[in-house]
Amino acid sequence: MLTAAGRRPWTFYALAAFFALYVAFLYGPMICIFVLSFQGPQGALVFPMRGVSLHWFAELVTQTETGDILGAISRSIPLAIIVMAATVAVSVAGGLAFRDRFRGGAALFYGVIVSLVAPGYVLGIGIGLMFQLLGLPAHWYSSALGAQLTWTLPFGLLIMFAVFGRFNRSYEEAARDLGAGAGQILRLVVIPIVLPGIIAVALFGFTLSYDEFARTLQTSGSTNTLPLEIWSMTTNVTSPVIYALGTVTTAFSFIVIGVALSAIALIQRRRYGRALPAGRH
Amino acid sequence: MAQRRKNSARIGGADANTAISRRNLLRAAAAAVGAAAGSQVIGAPTIWAQEIKDIELRHVGVSYSVVKAIGDQASKDLGFKVTMQNLDTSAAITRFITQPQTVDIPDLEGWQTKVAVARGILQGIEVKRIKEFDNILPIFTKGEYEGKKVSRQGISPYEAMYIEKKDSTKIVEGVHDWMTFLPQVYNADSIGYRPDIVGHPVTRWKDLIDPNYKGRSAILDVPNIGIMDAALALESRGDLVYKNKGNMTRQEIDTTINALIALKKQGQFRATWTTFEQSVELMASGEVVIQSMWSPAVTAVLAKGIPCIYAPVNEQPDGKEGYRGWCNGMGLMRHLSGKKLEAAYEYLNWYYAGWQGGFVARHGYYSPVPKTAEKFMTANEYGYWYLGKPAADVIKDPYGAAIAKAGAVRDGGSFIERFTNIACWNTVMDENQYMIQRWNEFKSA
Amino acid sequence: MTRTSPSGERASPARPYLLVAPLLVVLLVFVVAPLAFVVAVSFFHYDNFAIIPAFSFENYADVLTAHLTYDLYLTMIWFSLLTWFFTLIIGFTVAYFLVFHVRNPLIAIGLFLVCTVPFWTSNVIRMISWLPLLGKQGLINSALLATGAIRQPLQFLLFSDFSVVVSYVHLFTIFMIVPIFNSMSRIDRTLFEAAADAGSSRWQTLLHVVVPLCKSGIALGSIFVVTLVMGDFYVVKVMSGGSRASIVSAMYDDISTLLFPHAAANAVILMIIVVIMVSLILRVVDVRKELASQR
Repeated sequence: MLTAAGRRPWTFYALAAFFALYVAFLYGPMICIFVLSFQGPQGALVFPMRGVSLHWFAELVTQTETGDILGAISRSIPLAIIVMAATVAVSVAGGLAFRDRFRGGAALFYGVIVSLVAPGYVLGIGIGLMFQLLGLPAHWYSSALGAQLTWTLPFGLLIMFAVFGRFNRSYEEAARDLGAGAGQILRLVVIPIVLPGIIAVALFGFTLSYDEFARTLQTSGSTNTLPLEIWSMTTNVTSPVIYALGTVTTAFSFIVIGVALSAIALIQRRRYGRALPAGRH
Repeated sequence: MAQRRKNSARIGGADANTAISRRNLLRAAAAAVGAAAGSQVIGAPTIWAQEIKDIELRHVGVSYSVVKAIGDQASKDLGFKVTMQNLDTSAAITRFITQPQTVDIPDLEGWQTKVAVARGILQGIEVKRIKEFDNILPIFTKGEYEGKKVSRQGISPYEAMYIEKKDSTKIVEGVHDWMTFLPQVYNADSIGYRPDIVGHPVTRWKDLIDPNYKGRSAILDVPNIGIMDAALALESRGDLVYKNKGNMTRQEIDTTINALIALKKQGQFRATWTTFEQSVELMASGEVVIQSMWSPAVTAVLAKGIPCIYAPVNEQPDGKEGYRGWCNGMGLMRHLSGKKLEAAYEYLNWYYAGWQGGFVARHGYYSPVPKTAEKFMTANEYGYWYLGKPAADVIKDPYGAAIAKAGAVRDGGSFIERFTNIACWNTVMDENQYMIQRWNEFKSA
Repeated sequence: MTRTSPSGERASPARPYLLVAPLLVVLLVFVVAPLAFVVAVSFFHYDNFAIIPAFSFENYADVLTAHLTYDLYLTMIWFSLLTWFFTLIIGFTVAYFLVFHVRNPLIAIGLFLVCTVPFWTSNVIRMISWLPLLGKQGLINSALLATGAIRQPLQFLLFSDFSVVVSYVHLFTIFMIVPIFNSMSRIDRTLFEAAADAGSSRWQTLLHVVVPLCKSGIALGSIFVVTLVMGDFYVVKVMSGGSRASIVSAMYDDISTLLFPHAAANAVILMIIVVIMVSLILRVVDVRKELASQR
């Protein structure tokens, strides 16, 4: 998309402006969250601001007025990580399998669609009921994990389908001709090529799990995950402590991204000297 | 299982029964000591403490009655763990019904108790073992107060309270030896409004649908509660007289919903609020000036320095007006037994010992055992919240913010006045399915 | 060591079955079994808080003959279409920008991640925060009033269909961006040159080269967005200020008062309808065929 002289076309600026607008749209509520999290003890969930202090950040840690947010986070994050890993593994395996026609493939595919489409709250009740009837206790790491997988797997699988759809199998053939074993082919040829897809699936898996509400509501057992905890707080006085949580989460995410990208940039610089790799693949 | 056997062995190899009766003896002695020191269960004997310290009671319910702070205090005072899990009302009752093994102490509304009993997931609470039973307001335990009978429109707590035997699945009329639930948090709801904008004191439900407040009023979006608020408003306006606002006929439902749809099309309602916080913000931001409200929402608005009054809608001689009452209570799940059951009774008794009463009072909720709650409040607070007396000093909310100045009077007079003026109780009516359908038609109109 | 024939046939015929085994287990245990319950309950009889096993079509009859059902489906399909349209336009444009206009892949990833950061703050919190943004005393109204653009705060910003769609677009655009981004990044850049050499304008290249090659990404994004909107219950409830009901929120009301059979019938019908909608999308772009055609 460059002119002969290497300058950017006008469309670049137009699109960049559009992108900036989208980011502003995305972050609009975040700005409110950020500003309002610094209120004093009299703070409310809306403007005008009442006082300026770090009261609600302290509250996030001491939890005197609120529900058990820290406890809920201590369950939500491990759960999201496990779901992310499981989703990636099962989606990649599924994507590989579906490249070839096999018996029952169509039924399985529609099973995945049904899993996506099933109303979450009702499915959650069904899962909870099933565990009860089997005499199994419901926990965030068993029933809720399964329930969340029914949500993330369709996303992961469908994305891997699209990724593998563009995958040129001749790379695999070439590797095989050179004597590589199945495991090597997977590790050294397939995965590096579909890595962007895998990262997308991992991202979806984590985020969908962390935010998952409907399917988790009846399957989390005797403890709440974060969305459940916050939702039940809304039946009572809800304080800006949830805004403080939002601010902390966002700050934390930015730090993690910043560190990760800088690390990658450093590694690349070291590997390729001053020049960065051209193109994407 | 293994723990019980282990503990019996510790008490000299006696079997479980002997252990319990020995424990009761020790506990009676400790109770005598405890009674002398106050109503708290303190100084539990060390053997009992050893046996129960690994017990965990799971108390599950809505966040305004199942409060983490209360659970933490109970754990501290009682020596075993009480964990609170918050869910919204709907998710809670669904959990109790479909996964009863995952809960120990369910938090139930009156009508939910009826369902829970019919489904056989609860066990009766033995009246004899509840120390403060006689101090529970007779509104709940006897369905009357000082001779005046409590309204039976809707499902009153009294109506859902007694069963004949521990494992009965039928609720019976009249005081019996076994209860289905212990009243815990209750209130008489009415309308919240901005006195500075509305300009006159509101004492009648019809003001909620007054065209003067077109576009600035709201009702709540819970079908079986919202419909009763609407019914109270329509009856107040003179549209019709309901036989039982808590159990309407199809015709009455149609009249009510059609009136609501008409009001909606005229633009009467700014919103039907879903979350508690919405109701607070609607009022505090000035989006509405009069709406269905819950007591702690009024408190929250006041804490922001914005005037808000919880309208006293006492019953009029012509039978109109009155509050909408509700009551949440604790039950015992059927699967509780042995030491866990003992611990559960300890917890239930602790709950009535006063600390909880003092704690929730500052939210504007009452304890069903005012006598013990009084011990945990200042004379000023008790006078303001319970007796309807003018405040002698500043009244603070649970977190220290001032909500009422000296001289202010709590809305609606004393709490006895509010509770003897209840017109109907929260409920689920026979024509519930039809009502929900029509309610959703109102919402999509 | 697996040696293969020169035609490159895969070695083990059991391989695909092994690979999908975990998926199958999850689906059977956590989807098929619970849904079997739901379907069974949809035929049960309800009487005064008790659910009586039966085989009756009364619940389906109730749902299908109620005028409310059609109202709700029309509303939700309308919301789905609006959301799909806006998320597609925004998602496609953003993906295009990130793939073709950002030169440094690291920056592209960084910008992409910037778009995902808000999702790590719980949905519920972000929904609550619309109030201080869109309310009468909110940021937007205050800004507009301050600049004199309006005289009275805008009412329609909050508790309206507008706020519902805004919330949907806000929450779900990312589900459009990711698949389209994935599809686009596989497009061979030399195609642009080829098209330019053949005399195509940038716009024509977009329509005739880029869009067809992104078909599967667009289809996926559409499936995701439609499913998410049709299955939603709390965005409509909260953002419309109760002025609208959704299919799932009606189910929720039923469940709150233990009307399980009626809710189950509703759920089954919803699933059938959304599966039909997804199938329609798949008919336009057969993701599976695209996948399996690669041999």
